[in-house]
Amino acid sequence: MVAIAVSELGSISPTPKGTPLARLVGIGKTYGTGETAIAALRDATVDVRAGEVILIEGPSGSGKTTLISILGLLLRPTAGEVWLDGKNVAGLGERALPALRARHFGFVFQGFNLFPALTALENVEIALTMKGSKTGRAARAEATRLLELVDLGPRLHHLPADLSGGQKQRVAIARALGGDPPIIVGDEPTAALDTKTALGVMELLRALATDQGRAVVVVTHDPRLERFADRVVRVEDGLISSITSASERHAS
Amino acid sequence: MWNLARKLLLHDKLRFVVAIAGVSVSVMLVLVQVGLYFGFMNTASSIIDASTADLWVGKKGNESFEFATPFDDRAFYRVASVPGVAHAERVLMNFAQFKIADGSDLGVQIVGVETPRAAGPLMAPWNVIAGDLSRIGEPGAIVIDRSEYAKLKIDHVGHTTEVNGVRAEVVAMTTGVRSFTTSPIVFADLKTARSFMPLLGTDAVTYVLVKVAPGADARAVAARINALPHLAAYTTSAMSARTRTYWSSRTGVGAGFFTTAVLGVIVGFVVVGQILYSGTLQYIREYGTLKAMGARNSAVVRVILSQAMISALLGFVIGSGLAMVMRGAMKGANLTVALSPGLYVATAIITAVMCSFAALLSIVKVLRLDPASVFKG
Ligand SMILES: Nc1ncnc2c1ncn2[C@@H]1O[C@H](COP(=O)(O)OP(=O)(O)OP(=O)(O)O)[C@@H](O)[C@H]1O
Ligand SMILES: [Mg+2]
Repeated sequence: MVAIAVSELGSISPTPKGTPLARLVGIGKTYGTGETAIAALRDATVDVRAGEVILIEGPSGSGKTTLISILGLLLRPTAGEVWLDGKNVAGLGERALPALRARHFGFVFQGFNLFPALTALENVEIALTMKGSKTGRAARAEATRLLELVDLGPRLHHLPADLSGGQKQRVAIARALGGDPPIIVGDEPTAALDTKTALGVMELLRALATDQGRAVVVVTHDPRLERFADRVVRVEDGLISSITSASERHAS
Repeated sequence: MWNLARKLLLHDKLRFVVAIAGVSVSVMLVLVQVGLYFGFMNTASSIIDASTADLWVGKKGNESFEFATPFDDRAFYRVASVPGVAHAERVLMNFAQFKIADGSDLGVQIVGVETPRAAGPLMAPWNVIAGDLSRIGEPGAIVIDRSEYAKLKIDHVGHTTEVNGVRAEVVAMTTGVRSFTTSPIVFADLKTARSFMPLLGTDAVTYVLVKVAPGADARAVAARINALPHLAAYTTSAMSARTRTYWSSRTGVGAGFFTTAVLGVIVGFVVVGQILYSGTLQYIREYGTLKAMGARNSAVVRVILSQAMISALLGFVIGSGLAMVMRGAMKGANLTVALSPGLYVATAIITAVMCSFAALLSIVKVLRLDPASVFKG
């Protein structure tokens, strides 16, 4: 029921598959200073390319969230470079980041983070407005279009409390797509969902990559999602221990 | 933005009701307390404000309007002949004993004025609603306000009694002529007033009201009168302000009313601040999400300020309504709540400022909110 035919999404002049969208080079992150300092991440290098789904796996505390937070410009690394649009933005000041995030990234979360007081439509609309992508009628029309895209056309005016977990995550995905960001970043977006629903959400994210040429970078603990991934990045104890591509996985 | 703010605020009905109630009570307290204060002050100077005189001349050293030291007609003639004085009239004010039907006495404030005359008098009973004011020149004629009838046990115009043992007859009734001291105001002709107070002499005067000649400068005329021995002249507005200030500081009513009003504002501030803050904490993940998605701090702050402004607006409207109801209720108790447009505007501004400051804690909270926190369990 949750499955979406890949063709349904249509394509909006997708960026050619494989075009580099972002690149982390030699990223290090140390929390705190002195004796209490924690090196959460060391020398991490990852490419993010259009049309690809990247899964990030690893034990708890290994640095997965830290890695995607740095990629999503939510956190500044203590070492290394973050390349975006041909520029190293790792050293940019706090004030420059919101606009960059708005343009390049959409975020999805384990807990959906929807305003309980707002309907599905309003949750997407307010994000568009607050990001400054669209306002008024245009924001409403765009929010409607995005929710229809994720198959929630009939649920526009439902409050989050009246939606299933899978539907809530779809609202969040529609919201993440607001402003048409090329990269979608998620931290365990399927962890709160049952297996079937989780697979449905993953299928949708896969379709966003395949059909629209977006890059999808998702942290997960669920190895069953690997079949949707182009590459699986394993993080262990702050180090990227392996990056496995789909073809390599099939070979093994 | 407004829509989001409204929905966030309305989502938790109980919290919303408490916030609006907090602001409403605060607005109502400010309006009623300050309105009562102005009502009192208006009453304190009502006689002065009702006169059409340019200058009020009294004995030097008079502390209050009501307890003025009398002088005599010679001073009156000196004032009347000062250059620039077009016309002067005498007023005699003093307290007297009013005999009540049951045989007891009640202190009243006699206001003796010069009537009748061809030109409009500078001071006369106003708001006459019954009886015949033209009879005020008759010996013993007095005019009393409707609001004092119950207290003086009068039930009709034509009621006769004694003032300081002298026969008196109520010839007219006014409305809204309220005294600031608890003693009812009793208007009479100057001659009648003098007859009530033989001990002051037959030519006692407490105030001389002056109309300056066309083209003459009231201040210059006042300066000339001040040069006369034992006399002090004030413009009518200065006299009015002096009297208000005297009663305000003397009785401390100002401090009392304003303390209550300020407490009202503090209560509103705390209630709204608390409600906004708990709402901010409830939605902190969502605010963080907006920031993560690239919303600027200013946009998120606006959502919170909008909620504060909605509370302020609704609270102001409801609080103003409550204040009007209170004004009606207090009228029954002979209390005037003076609600002027200026007071409403000032209260609206105070309310907006109060709610903005109440939102400060919430604003600091979202400004400090690290967008990276959205990915933290
Ligand atoms: N703000 C912080 N201050 C100090 N240490 C932190 C902070 N955030 C993360 N850490 C530490 O950095 C390390 C990596 O944390 P991170 O959240 O990236 O792990 P994770 O792989 O996402 O774990 P999980 O699977 O449990 O979510 C952990 O040791 C964690 O305790
Ligand atoms: Mg994590």
